[in-house]
Amino acid sequence: MNRGPFIFLGVFLIVATSWTFVLFKANQEVGQLSAVLDEDLGKYVPGNTVGAAAHGKEVYQELGCISCHTQQVRVASGMDIERGWGERQSVARDYINDHKALIGNVRIGPDLSNVGARQKDRNWHLLHLYNPQINSKGSNMPAYPFLFDVREIVGEPSSHALDLPPAFSPGEGLEVIPTRKAESLASYMLSLKVDYELKEAPKSNEIMAEELAVALEGAQ
Amino acid sequence: MNLIGNICSSLFPGLSGDTKNREAERAIDRMIRFPLLTLIKSSIVWLIIATVFGLIASIKLHSPGFLADCSVLTYGKVEPIFWNTLVYGWLFNAGLGCGVFLLSRLGGNSAGLGVFLTISVVLWNTAVMAGVVGIMWGEQLPFQWLEFPAFVAPILFAAFIGIGLWSLLTFRVRIHRSSYASQWWILAAVFSFAWIYTAAQVMLVCVPAQGAIQALVNSWYVENVFGLFLAPLTFATLYYLVPKTLGTAIIGYKYSGWAFWSWILFASFSGVANLANGPVPAWVSSLGVMATFGLLIPTTTISIQLLSSFFSRFSVIWDSATARYLFAGSIVFLLVMYLKIFGALRGSLDITQFSVYDSGVAQLALFGFAGMTFTGAMYFMLPRLLNKELPSTTIVDLQFWSHLIGLIFVSIGLLSGGAQQGELMNGSTADVLVVVNTMRSSYFLTTIGKAFFFIGALGNGVTYIWIMLSTRKSEENTTSLIKEAPELEYNAS
Repeated sequence: MNRGPFIFLGVFLIVATSWTFVLFKANQEVGQLSAVLDEDLGKYVPGNTVGAAAHGKEVYQELGCISCHTQQVRVASGMDIERGWGERQSVARDYINDHKALIGNVRIGPDLSNVGARQKDRNWHLLHLYNPQINSKGSNMPAYPFLFDVREIVGEPSSHALDLPPAFSPGEGLEVIPTRKAESLASYMLSLKVDYELKEAPKSNEIMAEELAVALEGAQ
Repeated sequence: MNLIGNICSSLFPGLSGDTKNREAERAIDRMIRFPLLTLIKSSIVWLIIATVFGLIASIKLHSPGFLADCSVLTYGKVEPIFWNTLVYGWLFNAGLGCGVFLLSRLGGNSAGLGVFLTISVVLWNTAVMAGVVGIMWGEQLPFQWLEFPAFVAPILFAAFIGIGLWSLLTFRVRIHRSSYASQWWILAAVFSFAWIYTAAQVMLVCVPAQGAIQALVNSWYVENVFGLFLAPLTFATLYYLVPKTLGTAIIGYKYSGWAFWSWILFASFSGVANLANGPVPAWVSSLGVMATFGLLIPTTTISIQLLSSFFSRFSVIWDSATARYLFAGSIVFLLVMYLKIFGALRGSLDITQFSVYDSGVAQLALFGFAGMTFTGAMYFMLPRLLNKELPSTTIVDLQFWSHLIGLIFVSIGLLSGGAQQGELMNGSTADVLVVVNTMRSSYFLTTIGKAFFFIGALGNGVTYIWIMLSTRKSEENTTSLIKEAPELEYNAS
């Protein structure tokens, strides 16, 4: 143990082994996936996030939403299915189009994998971003007033203005207009839904058990 | 204004008395004084910054309206800034400072090249600052402990290589050819970080792997920063300073090699357990859980070595601030490892997954184990570097106790709160708003703890400024101020 090179070599070998067995091997197994054709939908899944939603994804990353929200559904533990956060397990193929994956590992708030399916109203999302207390009273999610412009109503009120309850109104003669970032973030929220099936993705313990039973019967 | 004179006198102590006394040590201190003070100073500044951001983030969890109008201080930015300044700001500077001091002292020589080392340290801190500004600017990456914008990574890496090369050179030019456990740990930390940082940056930023693999790389990196960098530097500090402060060799030192290799092996594989049931192959998290259990071996060995040494001279910890910090660090180490090992069990993982429990364990490890040990080491190094006594033991005591009380509050808030949160989120279908409401008191406890951390950090700043600016007292002009135990400098082969 008196020589630097010995320690260097030992540590290098161990770290390299760890890298090979954990990262390299996993990457070989599930890191080279491609989109598959979903015959029911007639398109390749998963699809890309495009347009305003793609910009919204950048805003999501910029504001660090990942500090509180995951985008992964588990069936083997937890209550994700029962909570209505998804219908099936999230698998590696779901994330192949993510240049920067927003999977997350903290849930101060709910999982967002399917928030676009749960909450389809664009206006709900915009109000929620402007001030979560409007439609989720008691939430500890921060408000994002800086994603909105408050301006004086000149002539007719803008058709883009938020329809705010009186308690949250900025004042007489003022209207709240979402900025491009807020609009994009809302588009991204609406785009978050896993509406396709993958054969490797189990649905829930119950369905897995049923499938197993059917398969066992077939084998007999 | 005599303050400038006092700073000069702090930096360049001209000592009288028996010049033969501690001659070798003083020669080494002279070579590393300036870069080491830069590391210590940076670590304290970052500690204060980190505790401020930690406090803001914690307040936001129970009072979301706090600073909500400010786009650069939204929770999603403050939280990563807190963690990154804590890790790369405070603990890297403090830990590498311990590494620089220990390698020079144990080898009986230093590579010199003080300017090169200082430039590397300044570059490192500039990069961390750029990273913090980048996160505020909105350029953060969605990877835990790697949130700094992509352009920061090459600068951080270059600065680290500078510090790493200096460490290797210092090890190479050592006079005492035998080596001590602390030196292995420091070398392991320096080598490992270069590897894991490269691996993570390549697989996440340069040639990004597919989405699910990114989560795996990230988790592997985070656990290894602790297991292969911060923990080894902490062990190095403990192995060196425990004998120094207690005046006795480490009991059972001969098992150190065994503990070293088993720790490196198991730590490098552990920690991907938190991906259980996620979108990665199941064997990955099983492997992580198994390796985490393997950590029982080195944990037990190291804890027995350290704690039995402490208990053989227990009274010292009441007299020496350093010994007290080291003792607290050793106790928290044992606690953290048991929380990690039993937290990786399937039963507990099913409850705590995705809750703030993990954050609690991580903060206990960073503030308690690594942080308290490095702080103790700083209070060992400062008087020796400057040949001055600590100006006020009251402030040092205040810092110790507020750090410890803060740790207790944060742990209770996040560990018991996290268990409660996980139980509701993973074990029931209670509405998320109900969970948030239940958690409010836990978040509040955490805030109280964070406030204590901030007070402790301020105490640290005050002590540093005071010791640098104070006028040198007459006994501080003599070489007999510091009583060394040179026989413990290199007492093992």
